[in-house]
Amino acid sequence: MPIHSLLDATVVNTANNYFPIGVQLLFAAGFVATMLIMSALLGPKRKTSDKLANFESGIEITGNARQPMAIKYFLVAILFVLFDVEVIFFYPYAVNFRELGWAGFGAVAMFVGFFIVGFTYIIKKGALIWED
Amino acid sequence: MNAIILSAIFGVVLMMASAFVSNRSLYKTIALACLVLLVGANIAETLGYSFFTIDTHNMLAFNKMGLFFNTICFTATLLYVFISSSEIERVDNYTAEYFALIFFSLCGIAILTSFNNLLMMFLGIEIMSIPLYILTGSDKRNLKSNEAALKYFLMGSFSTGILLLGIAFIYGATGSFGLESIKVGTLQMQLSILEVTGCILLLIAFAFKVSAAPFHFWTPDVYDGAPSVFTSFMASIIKVAGFYAFVKLFESRIETTSFATNPAVGVNWHLLFAILIIATLFVGNITAVFQQSVKRMLAYSSIAQAGFMLFALFSVNAFSKEGLYLYAAGYCLATIGIFAVLVRMKDYTFEGFNGLAKHEPTLAFATTVCLLSLAGIPLTVGFFAKYFMLAAVVKQGYAWLAIVGVLFAGVSIYYYFRVIAAMYFKSADENPAAVATSSTVKIGLAVVVAGIIILGVWPHALLNFLYF
Amino acid sequence: MPIQYYIALAVILFSIGVVGVLTRRNAIIIFMCIELMLNATNLLLVAFSKMHHGAALAADAATKVGVEGQLFVFFVMVVAAAEVSVGLAIIVMMYRNVHSVDINFLNRLKN
Repeated sequence: MPIHSLLDATVVNTANNYFPIGVQLLFAAGFVATMLIMSALLGPKRKTSDKLANFESGIEITGNARQPMAIKYFLVAILFVLFDVEVIFFYPYAVNFRELGWAGFGAVAMFVGFFIVGFTYIIKKGALIWED
Repeated sequence: MNAIILSAIFGVVLMMASAFVSNRSLYKTIALACLVLLVGANIAETLGYSFFTIDTHNMLAFNKMGLFFNTICFTATLLYVFISSSEIERVDNYTAEYFALIFFSLCGIAILTSFNNLLMMFLGIEIMSIPLYILTGSDKRNLKSNEAALKYFLMGSFSTGILLLGIAFIYGATGSFGLESIKVGTLQMQLSILEVTGCILLLIAFAFKVSAAPFHFWTPDVYDGAPSVFTSFMASIIKVAGFYAFVKLFESRIETTSFATNPAVGVNWHLLFAILIIATLFVGNITAVFQQSVKRMLAYSSIAQAGFMLFALFSVNAFSKEGLYLYAAGYCLATIGIFAVLVRMKDYTFEGFNGLAKHEPTLAFATTVCLLSLAGIPLTVGFFAKYFMLAAVVKQGYAWLAIVGVLFAGVSIYYYFRVIAAMYFKSADENPAAVATSSTVKIGLAVVVAGIIILGVWPHALLNFLYF
Repeated sequence: MPIQYYIALAVILFSIGVVGVLTRRNAIIIFMCIELMLNATNLLLVAFSKMHHGAALAADAATKVGVEGQLFVFFVMVVAAAEVSVGLAIIVMMYRNVHSVDINFLNRLKN
């Protein structure tokens, strides 16, 4: 596949081409509105205190969600953001996989290698140990 | 290429050392060894021995000038780590990580001295700055350090946003990120308002990064709040690297986008730069006079020094280029020296320096030489640095701007001499220094003083390297 | 669509981000506004990339002009992720000390 495949979207910018999307949007909005109104009008109404309680996957409620969270959650979240976004570089590589050949493979292997080094560091420093 | 790859690898080595080597006193030895290797590899590349042959598709261009600037920055870092490694160990438990971050920052500097493409410039700036955000906040339990880190981070990413918008506009106008093709493109095509806007946005973003007024307001707070050892690094090496990139970027743009070449949409760069310079000199010098803390005074004085380095941007010629190298070396030496003394003090106010000459004559002498160099007194490198900058402006035919520069240099003598007066002419009963001066620090300071005086007597000891 | 629309949209988004940075007091929201600025430039870069590609397409059907603009976007996104991780770490660190993310707490350095 050629390298410019990133750009291979067909030019669609006439008003006609947007017509199906418009119809679909109308349908979607109409469907939601109809369903909401119908269920509000036709459904039976029982008001109990259980219905106002939070739903936590069917198990007993364990308290307020707005409590300070353990710092390790943030750490994992931050690490996730880092490792997650770096995948972005695999997209151009995947598209031009054949064209780039072994040189490209070497570059990507080096990129992944740096990541493994970082990951080793994280493991070694105990950033992913979940139990205290 | 040596410098870029090796500095990144050495950073990783230090990171791994922290994970696998438990002997904490070993880290600084590893860091020093890596820095020596890095300086050696960079000099080897200057002499034509490149260890890596990588096709960068003209995104990076290595020339003697850039490599020599690398050498200045790396040698200054070597000196900095040599003098203050024991202070770095005292900040918190993560010594090896601090060294690793310093190496990553150096990698950014190596990219900034060789970029030939706006993408590489952007990456270089980010690789240089992101480790600094962490270093600023490294004193985790100190609220001032937290505040400085957050402020630096928010201001840094804000200016990154502006930089990116500028790059996007230039890309839109010229269809390329390359510095060379931008030059060709604008000569062929009509200069568009989009490109001019992009250039001005780049100017604003860089003014943020090098703390030129009116975009300087973050500097005093960040320099004051960061741990003093890392302020030393930020105020010296990072700052001059930022200037190098600033000048490198704009020397290819000023001609094509100027008012003289394109009367329709061009910018009067000289006027813009003159306003920037005078505002920076004014804010830096006048505010520094009223400071009570030496650390904060140094932060404002670094703004004032930035004003002088901006002269290199105003008059892009061979003279100002030499001046920039001399300024970089002299300013790094003096700043590293004075901060090495400052971190030893109990009290950072001017009164805290009272009687230092009696109790610690070596420290007081080194401080005096560094301050004289910052003030630009003859026989120190600071004098020649300022002289080259001002002479370059006079050569361009703007003598009035040079006179303004001299006037503000006169103001700066006042606040630098306040410290000297406190050290020599006031007395204190107890030793103002908190920790005893080790022989390492004495050797380091001797190198700093020797460097300042040798380059002050014979500036061509440095400048000859540009032309050999 | 003409390129002016994209420029206008990107500049409006960017300005919303700038105004947010300058007026909001919550560190997280300031941070989000900075991300908005970066993403506005991403949009602009992609639009310009397509524009240059379209212009070059007339002369050469297999042209690669314009691809570098999109690659730039990748780098911006990755750098933004690195900034996010450092920035969030700094905000969490501050939260542990002052139990707030309000930047009005940040006035210890003003003397």
